[in-house]
Amino acid sequence: MALLLMLLAMIALVLIDVPIAIALGVVGIVAMVIADGPDVLANLPLVMFSGATKFPLLAIPLFILAGAIMNSTGISRRLIAFASALFGFIKGGLAMVNIGASMFFAEISGSAVADVAALGSILIPAMKKKGYPAPFAAAITSSSASIAIIIPPSIPMILYAVMSDSSVVQLFVAGIVPGVLGGLLLMGMAYRFAVRYNYPVEEIFNLNHLWSTFKDAALAFLLPFIILGGIFGGLVTATEGAGLAVVAALGIGLIYGELKWAHLKQAIIEGGVQTAVVMLLVASSALVGVYLTEAQVPQSLALTISSWTDNRYVVLALLNVFFLVIGLFLHSAAAIILVVPIVMPLALAVGIDPVHFGLVVTLNLAIGQQTPPVASVLITSCSIAKADIWEVSKVNIHFIAILVFMLLLVTYVPAIPMALVEYFYR
Amino acid sequence: MPTLSRLRSGFERLLEYIVILLMISLAVEVILGVTYRKLGMSLSWYDEVASITLAWVTYYGAALAALKRAHIGFPGLVESLRPRLQVVLLLIGEFFVFAFFITLTWSGVQVLGVLGTDTLVSLPQVPVSLTQSVIPIGGALFVIAEALTFPEVLAKARAGLQLPDSRKGVS
Repeated sequence: MALLLMLLAMIALVLIDVPIAIALGVVGIVAMVIADGPDVLANLPLVMFSGATKFPLLAIPLFILAGAIMNSTGISRRLIAFASALFGFIKGGLAMVNIGASMFFAEISGSAVADVAALGSILIPAMKKKGYPAPFAAAITSSSASIAIIIPPSIPMILYAVMSDSSVVQLFVAGIVPGVLGGLLLMGMAYRFAVRYNYPVEEIFNLNHLWSTFKDAALAFLLPFIILGGIFGGLVTATEGAGLAVVAALGIGLIYGELKWAHLKQAIIEGGVQTAVVMLLVASSALVGVYLTEAQVPQSLALTISSWTDNRYVVLALLNVFFLVIGLFLHSAAAIILVVPIVMPLALAVGIDPVHFGLVVTLNLAIGQQTPPVASVLITSCSIAKADIWEVSKVNIHFIAILVFMLLLVTYVPAIPMALVEYFYR
Repeated sequence: MPTLSRLRSGFERLLEYIVILLMISLAVEVILGVTYRKLGMSLSWYDEVASITLAWVTYYGAALAALKRAHIGFPGLVESLRPRLQVVLLLIGEFFVFAFFITLTWSGVQVLGVLGTDTLVSLPQVPVSLTQSVIPIGGALFVIAEALTFPEVLAKARAGLQLPDSRKGVS
């Protein structure tokens, strides 16, 4: 009953456009005061402070910063040139280049919004110029950008790891196969469109050209090796790997000679603002967390649902539907922060591996980034393409179908995300 | 209005410089932490100070985000309503935002008094009240940012215009 009232109050506040972080804080305070009296207000600043000091979340501003620095060094242009040399000979070449470049960019950035902003601003105008319809250009850029949160590093995975108390490194490793597979399947769908609508090839395959674009982008490829190699090899933690990424990004920027203070300054400010937006959510969710923990709400929910069914695949199906609906209305960071602490005891009670569940959640939220009304990545892509969101969605539905197929595959064939984790870490 | 604009841009510049300083400090702390650990001379203060810097980025950055109206929300429903209703809901929403941060600022000041002589574990020369000061200061900055942008948002609601789409979130 208490959870229902809190949920209704939250929904009411969010619907009247109170920022979600503040809606959480208001509901948290009211619940605490009702439960323990007004003296509990003394805890408010302490909880809000400690909620923002979660050490593993340091990786978030650092990955954002590294991505922003890389983006201001001309790396997007180099990655696109290499992807073009590699995939441009296929029919619908620029669509393939778009997906390929997204997959490379995903290894540097953990954010789909950063991916779509960095690559979309170059590729969408190029696609429109070559005669691709704007809705198709926006749809393929948007869907392929969501691969960025599945292929490591991934900001939603870092948030999930903290909220579920699971290993961020194992989550990163679990994302490799689904991320690559998802990218390839998106390419398959793009090829189907290319054949149907006779989209052109981008360039003739030439090994020398491929080699020269590879050399030009070699430093950019070095970065994922430094970050992910260090993290997976156990040399550095995810947070330290993010710190290394910042140093490497700065080094690469200096070598390329394209790093400008004005760009860098803007990148740092944007990184700081984006970090603060997510971290304020994390901090105010701690207020609700205090109440939920005291009232043992997540445990009661787990008991209730597991008394109906203890079949993990049925529970996964229920959670998938729940996350898909939540994804329509919430940004991925907010959805993880709000929902994961509540459903985690249920997932554990029916024997779902927290790393496997992390991938399921991430894929659900990748789909949520594509489904209006709240579709952060899709909206960014539409705004770059100057295309109507509903026209884009009519095309994007095909690419969303691929992401849903991936979700079902990851949900019901756990070996797809977990095989590498089992092999290396268990 | 020009005075308000000048105030707003000056406030924005101030917050931007603070956020830049904090972000660079954060990166430097983590890089120093890794380097020293790899050299076998782990810094005892690294974890604690880096976590506190993250909290400072959170609250100074949150005020800057408030100035840009960039906090994640769901403006779709309000924007679809008639201007008069938009204004009413905006006023109710703003009431909750102000109430939350004024409460946070007030209780933050109270707690600073209670913390007294407490110091950080790894750096005993640094008082906890200094690190914790970010809560009342950040709360007050948020209130100022919200107040500075309120007239513009109110004018847009009155005209039935959409708010800027800056609420894309990070991921």
